[in-house]
Amino acid sequence: MKATKYILFMLLVLSMSLASCQPKAADVVSPGEEQPMATEAAPAATQAVPPAEAAVLVMAANLDDVVTLDPGFAGETTNLMIHINTYDTLVDIRPEDLTTKVGRLAESWDISEDFMTYTFHLRPGVLFASGNPVTADDVVFSWQRLKNLAGAPAFNLDLVESVETVDDLTVKVTMNEANPSFLASAANPSLGIQDSLLVEEHGGTDAADASTTDTAKEWLDQNSAGSGPYVLTSWAPKSEIVLEANPNYWRDTPYFGKVIIKHVEDPTTKLQMLETGDADIIDALDYDLVDMAQADPNLVVDIGQTLDENYLAFTSNCATEIGPDTAAMVCDPNIRKAIVYALDYDGLIQSVLNGYGVRAPSIIPLGVLGVDPAMGWGRDLDKAREFLVAGGYPDGFDMELYYASNSTRDTIAAKIKSDLADINVNVTLVPMEQSVYLTEMRAQKLPTAFGGWTPDYLDPTMWTDYFGLGDRSIAFRMWYSNPDATAIARKIQTLADGPERAQDIHDLQVILIEDMPYTMLYQTQRVVGYRADLQGYAYHPVWFLDFSKLSN
Amino acid sequence: MGLASHLIRRLLLLIPMLIGITLLLFIVTHIVPSDPLSVILTEKSMENPASVEAAIQKWGLDKPLYEQYFVYLRNLMMGDMGTSFKTKNPVSHDLQTFLPATIELSIGSFIFAILIGLPLGIISALKAGKWPDHSTRVVSLLGASMPPFWSGLLVLYFFYYKLQIFPGPGRIDARLTAPHTITGLFLIDSLAAHDMQAFWSSLSHLLLPSMILGWFTLALVARITRSALLDVLQMDYIRTARSKGLKEKTIIVRHGLRNALIPLITVVGLAFAGLMSGAIMTETIFAWPGIGRYAVESAANLDYPSLMGTTLLIAVVYMFVNLLVDFMYAVIDPRIREA
Repeated sequence: MKATKYILFMLLVLSMSLASCQPKAADVVSPGEEQPMATEAAPAATQAVPPAEAAVLVMAANLDDVVTLDPGFAGETTNLMIHINTYDTLVDIRPEDLTTKVGRLAESWDISEDFMTYTFHLRPGVLFASGNPVTADDVVFSWQRLKNLAGAPAFNLDLVESVETVDDLTVKVTMNEANPSFLASAANPSLGIQDSLLVEEHGGTDAADASTTDTAKEWLDQNSAGSGPYVLTSWAPKSEIVLEANPNYWRDTPYFGKVIIKHVEDPTTKLQMLETGDADIIDALDYDLVDMAQADPNLVVDIGQTLDENYLAFTSNCATEIGPDTAAMVCDPNIRKAIVYALDYDGLIQSVLNGYGVRAPSIIPLGVLGVDPAMGWGRDLDKAREFLVAGGYPDGFDMELYYASNSTRDTIAAKIKSDLADINVNVTLVPMEQSVYLTEMRAQKLPTAFGGWTPDYLDPTMWTDYFGLGDRSIAFRMWYSNPDATAIARKIQTLADGPERAQDIHDLQVILIEDMPYTMLYQTQRVVGYRADLQGYAYHPVWFLDFSKLSN
Repeated sequence: MGLASHLIRRLLLLIPMLIGITLLLFIVTHIVPSDPLSVILTEKSMENPASVEAAIQKWGLDKPLYEQYFVYLRNLMMGDMGTSFKTKNPVSHDLQTFLPATIELSIGSFIFAILIGLPLGIISALKAGKWPDHSTRVVSLLGASMPPFWSGLLVLYFFYYKLQIFPGPGRIDARLTAPHTITGLFLIDSLAAHDMQAFWSSLSHLLLPSMILGWFTLALVARITRSALLDVLQMDYIRTARSKGLKEKTIIVRHGLRNALIPLITVVGLAFAGLMSGAIMTETIFAWPGIGRYAVESAANLDYPSLMGTTLLIAVVYMFVNLLVDFMYAVIDPRIREA
């Protein structure tokens, strides 16, 4: 009997502790959280103080990929969003027009006719958040530090020979070979300009031995040293990133004085946070949750076209170290074509991506210069069988499909297997850990590979180099080397955007469709949800979102 | 003398065990055909020979494996657990970052499990075969059989999303930022900062994940308490105590429960160590930035410095909990002390 009392007492204590802290937690939380008045209540909270200081934007996002916030080292996706909001680049490519480069810290620039030198004229009177002025020295420091640290984003400056100051507000960049895509590359958030005095104060250096002597990473992981609209004030790994408005910002002060990005992995929970008003925006909505979000009148669902492609690649080496039997098959372009015509691309996009995807005919994604949707094809089993006959295997064959496993790719691989079964091609799926897959692929050992490609900046060379040049990335890994393709890809490197470049990009894709070392399976769309009272949302395929344009 | 020398022997034994663990881990992680460069560098920086060379030099990847192992051991002796390939931070720094969240959650779950499990176990032993016993069995069965990724989602759906009586995921409210880090334990840090807002928010955020994570342990505690107490209550000395006319409460607490504690402590000790290492699912669902997620990612990325660091840490926790359990046997049962 007494024990029963004891347990009742314990339950009472527990429920009281719940009761006592729960309402308090709700009090504490800004009124924006209380339901069902979420939308009306949020602005009310901001009335007492000027909006720019009090308004808080909460984003629920998956921050798993953030391993550092030092622009010298960060090479992942989320950091691009953080950096575009905390650092200013010289040049910008805005979401409204992805083909035009506009000035940001640079007021103007001159490019030599041979694309060997770029001279940037900086905007006068711009201050860093620290109050230091932005000068040409800061540009030199930032880019030399990036190059000499040799971290993940250093490849952006591979073609840069030197960065020099001409005067206080003029910087001259010299290339080691003709490089018309440098403006696009300079718009990458990793090339944002750092406050050299501040970074040096915290152990940073741009010396040649920076990779061993620079000690600013620890500080830059928790603070930013830029002139962008926001300042990084803290980062707790896998927990939150906090940004506050830069008081010295040279353009309009952002509406939201504080941006809190909370790490939430589970997609359903993210949507729940959005629906309850705990979050104002979420970084991505799972395709199967889109209907649910669309049914909520308080939410807006935006569908953004990414430039992220998922491809199926075949080796051109008939005896790879792994899966030589498969290599012996797929090194024949006829067999490759049999496979690509047997794939049901539309069905794949419908069933696996719930329709939130498109397909580019070849390596260049839709939305980039030189893409021609008319070059595409759909499923054609008769044609596939003809190519099987031409390849000498009218009755089909066995092959292995190698890929880095995750839930989406597992489903798509299963779909590929079932599609190919229709032409008697029996596929054995070989899912691998991402790190193992990349290792084997880089070592040129895989006969087939199903993977993804994301651009770092908006220039067609992001695709023509990596898929077209025999010594680069995907082409190299899959042993694809065609002198004609290489020659065109090299020429594309030396041309500025224009009709000639577009024609060359077109011609390169014709060759690739003829050789068929790859087929593009799908190009994803990014579905984002936000509260209906949020204004100014615009999706950018490289860095995602500019917080300073948002308001309530 | 007996107890002290026993303790010292046990502590000394930890050293070869730890070395054994590092060797085993080192071999296992290096058998896998994965190039550490693929973790250290990103897709595009692999194309840059300068980046590749810098990485090889920095991480000593050009040295033979046995040399890499001895360097690791030597550094470990000096308290340096190496640098994570992925985060590029010292592993000890990463562990410091993620451990407090796990400790807070483990302690919360542990308190929940004991506070509810122990009385439930006692009641079901005393009312064996009656409805309190049956309902306890149902609670235990649910706790033992529902995976946290399911029950976690379920409670979030009902208590956070539908009823809105519990806060959502995370360690603190979405519109609040973490208190200034002193210990990394939000409850303590927020008190130290006199930030009662943050304190109540952290406390309320701790409740749901603690319940979900602690439920399994609760089931364990309730069932073990019940069966151990049932055994003990049938002993002759209990009958003797009863015949002496002692109060029922004294009989159960002093004579019954104390003797039932031995199996309970063994289980509870291991369960606590399990809470520290087994919170991965709960951490994922509740967006809890703990050591479990870190360990899983280290394994998936074959980031062996951090993988070895976390495994060592968990091994040390298990070892010390075992030690503590042994020590507590001796405190509870004088016969063990003398033996």
